[in-house]
Amino acid sequence: MQAREFKALPDQPAPLSTTGPIAWVKDNLFSSVFNIAVTVIITSALISILPGVLDWLIFSANWSGTSQADCVKDGACWVFIQAWSQQIFYGSYPDGEIWRVNLSLMLLAGVIALSFTLPARLRNKIAVPAYLLLPFVCLLFLDGSNIGLTPVSTDLWGGFSLNVLIAAASIIIAFPFGFLWALGRQSDMPFARSVSVTCIEFFRGTPILALFFMGSVMLPLFFPSDVTVDKLLRVWIILVLFMSSYMAEVFRSGFQAIPQGQYEAANSIGLGYWQKTLLIIFPQVIKIAMPNILATFVMVFKNTVFLLVIAVPEMLQVIMSALSNSNWLGGHAVEGYLFVGFIFWICCFSMSLLATSIEKKLDTSHQN
Amino acid sequence: MSVDKQSIECTNDKEIIVIKDMNKWYGNFHVLKDINLTVKKGERIVVCGPSGSGKSTMIRCINRLEEFQRGSLVVNDVEMIEDVKNIEAIRREVGMVFQHFNLFPHLTILENLTLGPIWVQKRPKEEAEAIAMKYLERVQIPDQALKYPGQLSGGQQQRVAIARSLCMSPQIMLFDEPTSALDPEMIKEVLDVMVELADEGMTMICVTHEMGFAKKVADRVIFMDAGEIVEENEPNEFFNNPQMDRTQLFLSQILEH
Repeated sequence: MQAREFKALPDQPAPLSTTGPIAWVKDNLFSSVFNIAVTVIITSALISILPGVLDWLIFSANWSGTSQADCVKDGACWVFIQAWSQQIFYGSYPDGEIWRVNLSLMLLAGVIALSFTLPARLRNKIAVPAYLLLPFVCLLFLDGSNIGLTPVSTDLWGGFSLNVLIAAASIIIAFPFGFLWALGRQSDMPFARSVSVTCIEFFRGTPILALFFMGSVMLPLFFPSDVTVDKLLRVWIILVLFMSSYMAEVFRSGFQAIPQGQYEAANSIGLGYWQKTLLIIFPQVIKIAMPNILATFVMVFKNTVFLLVIAVPEMLQVIMSALSNSNWLGGHAVEGYLFVGFIFWICCFSMSLLATSIEKKLDTSHQN
Repeated sequence: MSVDKQSIECTNDKEIIVIKDMNKWYGNFHVLKDINLTVKKGERIVVCGPSGSGKSTMIRCINRLEEFQRGSLVVNDVEMIEDVKNIEAIRREVGMVFQHFNLFPHLTILENLTLGPIWVQKRPKEEAEAIAMKYLERVQIPDQALKYPGQLSGGQQQRVAIARSLCMSPQIMLFDEPTSALDPEMIKEVLDVMVELADEGMTMICVTHEMGFAKKVADRVIFMDAGEIVEENEPNEFFNNPQMDRTQLFLSQILEH
């Protein structure tokens, strides 16, 4: 018997009522009585609050001037931020040398941009060493004594640039450390495993404030009196260790998500331990762990404000000393803290966007 | 201990895999019991048996994805001992294809194939890519070279996995239920590649339930149950005249439908 030809039906567009902006509004804002009520309440709350807030923040705010006396209008006194802006961003770093801080920040931005724009082939060969060198290059420039520039003592480093640079330097060094600890933790070698577990559990189980105090107050007691380790260096080491322990656990969760078959396939084509780890496992771990890696970055970045408890003049510390300055005793705390919060939010939000784009880049499952 | 190479003449009768009294336990569970098996160069062997009979475990012992606790194993004149050099020497000679393909999802098809030649055999990239394309053409998907595994169908992925193993020019190919995870329509394209490979004289050990494949290409069929080799025969005899009642029961179960 002659078989009849099978013809697949053509695709038809989805009904209009299920796509487009009107459908979105209906689905998300007015889908049920409860949803309608919530939408109405939130909208009316916004309408009643927003004008006052915007007025204080922007329209009635004092934007220009040099001293407290210029803040005559009812709104926020942004003059306060303006007057202290150099301190807020650069601490007490000498005026003429601020280009060195800017250069360091630009190098950081440059390396990040580099890792996004380089083709995949060159990324590992150029961007990875660039990242690892970055903290030390910045250190050379900021300190200056080893490359013939005016030495600037670390006591003078400060402000938001310090928050950014010390967080970046910690993240960069903690990344390989954390990976090694995670490898150690699941290693068959008892020594590697016990060292890794001890380090991870100690630094993860201790509050960062306690670690900072320990580093700044207790650690020097153990050194001979003629040996002094710079306070900022100690803080850096503590941040690196603290963050490494978190990264190690983030990586471990990534390791556990890799199917056993990947290890077996790598073994069966004869790859050695490090080839297998770096070529097969590491790239997949990074992809799986990306959201948690970002969360850890953000956490450490925000934790840098805790440096104020050991009197490192980071951004929040600068704001607090500005608030107690005798020329500015007008109560500008709200403006100051809002500003700190806003700057941190901008940075963390950009990191979040960055991470999303990295995730997209790494996602090879549905790429066409 | 160094890699132990004897000077045996390379004839078709060369014994390429020799398993003697192999025993393996998972904790207290005895998975492999006194396995004895000799495979000659160029031989095609199909291993079948119910699940949990130890057939996958046995072939995974051959390239040391699993360890065994007692007995001995010699692959291509290299004894499998607790020595990284020996293990790597054996793995270089043995290709393996898995049930779930196990392609590397973060690498393109071409990168999946060139990984071994570049990093294990230390070949230059161009040469590795030429080899990779040669084998991709053999499994008839050269046009997929730049895609990622996630974009390919199961049958295509399994053919890539076969090509990936072949790129290492192995002496022996192990297949661990290569078609079990595939849609019925894709089984054939994978089996075709395997038949072609068998026709070229590749030494193969294949764990599979594809009895048509066994009849067509196998030199010997091995039936395993409860960690033992129950019966071992050439396919005609095996299917038409099984000696053991356990084999008869198994065959009646799988051939019924």
